[in-house]
Amino acid sequence: MEHFALTGIFLFVLFLLLGSGVWVGLALLGVAFVGMELFTNRPAGDAMITTIWTASSGWSLTALPLFIWMGEILYRTRLSADMFRGLAPWMAPLPGRLLHTNIVGCTIFAAVSGSSAATLTTVGKMSIPELRKRGYPEHMIIGTLTGAATLGLMIPPSLTLIVYGVTINESISKLFIAGILPGLVLSALFMGYVAFWSFTRPHEVPPPEPPMSFGRKIHEARFLIPVLLLVAFVIGSMYLGLATATEAASFGVIGALVLAASQRSLNRKTFVESLLGATRTSCMIALILAGAAFLSLSMGFTGLPRALAGWIASMDLSPVVLIVALTLFYIVIGMFLDGISSVVLTMAVVEPMIRQVGIDVIWFGIFIVVVVEMAQITPPIGFNLFVMQGMTKHEIGYVARTAIPMFLLMVVMVGILVAFPEIATYLPDNMRSRPG
Amino acid sequence: MPHRAAHPIRAILDRLYFASGMLAAACLLALLVIVVLQMSARWVGTTFPGSTAYAGYCMAAASYFAMAYALNHGAHIRVNLLLSRLGRFRRGGEIWCFGIGAALSCYFSFYAYKAVYWSRKLNDISQDQDATPLWIPQLPMAIGMTILSLALLDHLVRLLFFGLTDIGDESVQDHHTE
Repeated sequence: MEHFALTGIFLFVLFLLLGSGVWVGLALLGVAFVGMELFTNRPAGDAMITTIWTASSGWSLTALPLFIWMGEILYRTRLSADMFRGLAPWMAPLPGRLLHTNIVGCTIFAAVSGSSAATLTTVGKMSIPELRKRGYPEHMIIGTLTGAATLGLMIPPSLTLIVYGVTINESISKLFIAGILPGLVLSALFMGYVAFWSFTRPHEVPPPEPPMSFGRKIHEARFLIPVLLLVAFVIGSMYLGLATATEAASFGVIGALVLAASQRSLNRKTFVESLLGATRTSCMIALILAGAAFLSLSMGFTGLPRALAGWIASMDLSPVVLIVALTLFYIVIGMFLDGISSVVLTMAVVEPMIRQVGIDVIWFGIFIVVVVEMAQITPPIGFNLFVMQGMTKHEIGYVARTAIPMFLLMVVMVGILVAFPEIATYLPDNMRSRPG
Repeated sequence: MPHRAAHPIRAILDRLYFASGMLAAACLLALLVIVVLQMSARWVGTTFPGSTAYAGYCMAAASYFAMAYALNHGAHIRVNLLLSRLGRFRRGGEIWCFGIGAALSCYFSFYAYKAVYWSRKLNDISQDQDATPLWIPQLPMAIGMTILSLALLDHLVRLLFFGLTDIGDESVQDHHTE
């Protein structure tokens, strides 16, 4: 009974610190400290430093700042304008026409950046005004963009997957490779929705673009092709086992710098800005990871993970039921926390559970990313909603409503992942991996 | 806030936060250089012993030196839902956050120094190929957390005595975390 009360206090402190607005990393640190004081006689401070030092200086995490930097460099190039110009001629013949530029643009940018906010701003900067000018309905422009931008979390490089991989000690290259097919399937679902819309509401579709010759199309896409090559190179080098995730990330940074230089958008100012932007973002993730490392140590002493795993085992749940329950759980958490924080906060408890029922951890990484993606577009804290609100001045409720179809498609995606787990596991099972 | 540029301590502190941010950026650059050297070494058939450990140290140094700088740019995320609805109690809420934050950060810094002290005293050597005495790479963690503590206390004092802080309301456009 006493243990029960202590657990209650522990959880109360967790909600109090996080809810009252203490910075997530420091809040996790504080909760972990309270947990250590309540449940063990070990000196909390020394155990804390050992754990945090190991977590903050581990080789596998070094991919994170480099991938962030790569995205920051490309974000500051002319990619936004090139993306729309290059994609539009190829998308025009599809049913639903130029709306597909939103989705394909997001898919491509997602492959150079691990962030959905950067994906949204880069693609939207150009596509929103261009699509409006051509008379596409506002709700479709906003909805497809808000939804498709979440692909940034799934298609490698994905910051959420790096953090997940580091937390449960799994190969980051494997997780990245696992994210490719599900990312493309999700993107195909979004495109299917646009096509469906164009068939059911033909009166909303604006008139077609003037036709363009093949040579002209290639010419328009000339700036986009190097970006695609860079993406193929970064992901390919990991898949073929030529480079570890960190090494692939450094290829990415150098490739991005070369691209930016060849576009003449690289100068001292943009270089320093991209470096500082990457420093800030990786620092903020490092603080969360530091807090999370200490929390998972402390969590072990509370006995909570073991108790929950035992409880799950005693209920004899089928994996599918557990996945449904976890989906709901993460959607609720995701309403209040960002993706990375919700992953690190819960993995200490969830990992024993999923291992207990025999769920593949690589598959689960992809699952968790889809669910966290959903949280990006659900109020009150959906991050993409805020970014979209900032860009278009629409109310958050409106943006959220336009994204509902995308949200439902992601639910479908979870179903597809459960029905066909090979989508996530086939490629990583067949890649050549490099130790480290 | 009313700008009290006149006070020299203000200028010194701001310069300190900025300088450690720049130092962090330099460490990130060093991380890239190390990874590139490691790959080049492999291609020409030699090895760069301990490169993965050095890369890890650079990352840690970059992360911790940037702490205060990131704080002042509103980069560290927090759950704003309640805070933004506090209205006239907002200042109280912020004081609570900065107070708790500063306490935790000081606690962290203290033990970070203790770890550096004992690593040095016991001559703790990295288990990797680099065989670096561990107190050296651990020192940036201690220094960075101290600067973060200082920054949090700085904001706390300003909140208590001047009523406001100047941390930019996280401009959503600059947030590339999600």
